[in-house]
Amino acid sequence: MIRTAIVTFALCALCGWSAPVFAQADPPVSRLELGVGVRWIGTEPLGTQAANETTGAGAKSPLFSTTSELGGAAGIDGRVGVRLSHSFVAEIEGTYAKPELRIAVSADTEGAAPVTATETIQQFTIGGNLVWYLPLRQRSPRFAPFAIGGGGYLRQLHDSGTLVDTGSFYHVGGGVSTLLSSGGHWHTKGVGVRADVRAFIRTNGVAFDGGSKTSLAAGASVFVRF
Amino acid sequence: MKRAFTALLIASLVLGHSAPAHAYLKFGVPIRGQQVTVKWAQTPVRYFVSDTGVPGVSAVDFQNAVGRAFATWQAVPTASITYQLAGVTSALPGSDDGSSVLGFRSRPDLDRVLASTSFLVDSTTGALIESDIFFNSAFQWSTAAAGETGRYDLESIALHEIGHFSGLGHSALGETEMISTGGRRVLSAEAVMFPIAFAPGSIAARTLKADDIAGISDLYPDGDFQTTDGSLSGSVTKDGQPLFGAHVVAFNPATGTMIAGFTLNAQGQFSIGGLSPGPYAVRVEPLDDADIDSFFSSAQTVDIDFRVAFFDRVVAVPKGGDSGQIALKVVHK
Repeated sequence: MIRTAIVTFALCALCGWSAPVFAQADPPVSRLELGVGVRWIGTEPLGTQAANETTGAGAKSPLFSTTSELGGAAGIDGRVGVRLSHSFVAEIEGTYAKPELRIAVSADTEGAAPVTATETIQQFTIGGNLVWYLPLRQRSPRFAPFAIGGGGYLRQLHDSGTLVDTGSFYHVGGGVSTLLSSGGHWHTKGVGVRADVRAFIRTNGVAFDGGSKTSLAAGASVFVRF
Repeated sequence: MKRAFTALLIASLVLGHSAPAHAYLKFGVPIRGQQVTVKWAQTPVRYFVSDTGVPGVSAVDFQNAVGRAFATWQAVPTASITYQLAGVTSALPGSDDGSSVLGFRSRPDLDRVLASTSFLVDSTTGALIESDIFFNSAFQWSTAAAGETGRYDLESIALHEIGHFSGLGHSALGETEMISTGGRRVLSAEAVMFPIAFAPGSIAARTLKADDIAGISDLYPDGDFQTTDGSLSGSVTKDGQPLFGAHVVAFNPATGTMIAGFTLNAQGQFSIGGLSPGPYAVRVEPLDDADIDSFFSSAQTVDIDFRVAFFDRVVAVPKGGDSGQIALKVVHK
């Protein structure tokens, strides 16, 4: 999947480099957009698991139970976008966050007090996005709504620094961007802000049951266009 | 070279008095001031079976059941040990003749011992020379595929004893309750190497558990076991003082498996090997469900006056490495 995302981005970039440049709210023509901001990825339940022993009849007898999750966390987000056409922008985006892995232990048959064991995970993502600016902006020329989708590679480093989980992610969502100023200093052609909400689907990485995990992600950023 | 032979110890599967602890132990002997793990130096390990049956179990039934138990251990993909039937013998288990023999013996005096394993060890190297297993014919036995009411399943008991035969000690992964006639009854266990047998008729102990597999793989690692699996280590203290004999369980929330170990030195340190890489929850408990001497010698003082507790951190076990030392603190009951 990561390969697919990168190839898609590369093709889009090649095709779009000579395409007409789209400018929202009549800004100067721009091709390149750099953005930096914050991104929050919501809690991902990792399931429940019992520490079972076996009875003489072959049945399971739980010694204790666990419920696990990767907690929601805000992190930093950076991206580089290249305008492909009037409506499309291809982006490379990376994020860094430190979510908390939580294993809540309870129902111990020998009376141990419930505990939530925790560990901080360093999570890195790198991937590609395709942004489609919707043809709706005539009503509010300062705001440009868009749909976004993409995917990429995910790397999660455990607390000790000795264990790494890797996986892939996909996301789809939408948002709005607006220019705060157009024209500008040096070689900039505009400065603005952008916010989006996405459904974030992760496969592998820190995952106890091997399945995909879906959570909500939201981000806000400041961007500069060149 | 002159070899010094030492009859090391006898490991028994008892009916109902032992302590529940968890984790695999390895046998060891002191050689020149260092503790050396007892294990077979060469495989396949050759064994003989006795030509004597008992009511309900013919000599052929016995040979087949024991063969299935050996095959179960040998099938562990991460362990290299193999076994080979050398033949049928009229010799009884327990004679130090250099041949490993499995068979029945009548020992009505051992009214809580279903079976027992004895060893002959080269005291200069720690290598096993001979290991015999006797099954106590004072009890009722069965080799029926689905078990048989009122009779102990020979394959299950053989599986436990062959663990000893191979160099494994007892695991404490099990729960028991006291019974009015004395001793303990097993409620549940998650290791074939738990020292107390299930009730007659049960065949639940014919399958190796994660703790057993980790133990045999640690003794006889095969392939890339040591590079693909990791370990979890640390220490246990109570009131700032090291704790000996605490039972530490590593629980893998991805697989639901438990593998355990004990604090085994004066510093209260433990190390649990054979763990799949990943995050673990860690539980520590006293060895208070059975007789301490099922696990440790009477010369060692095991502290059981503390509460069961969980470590408040998730512990990451790396591939082919160790988690790094964790510090578990427990409090008085």
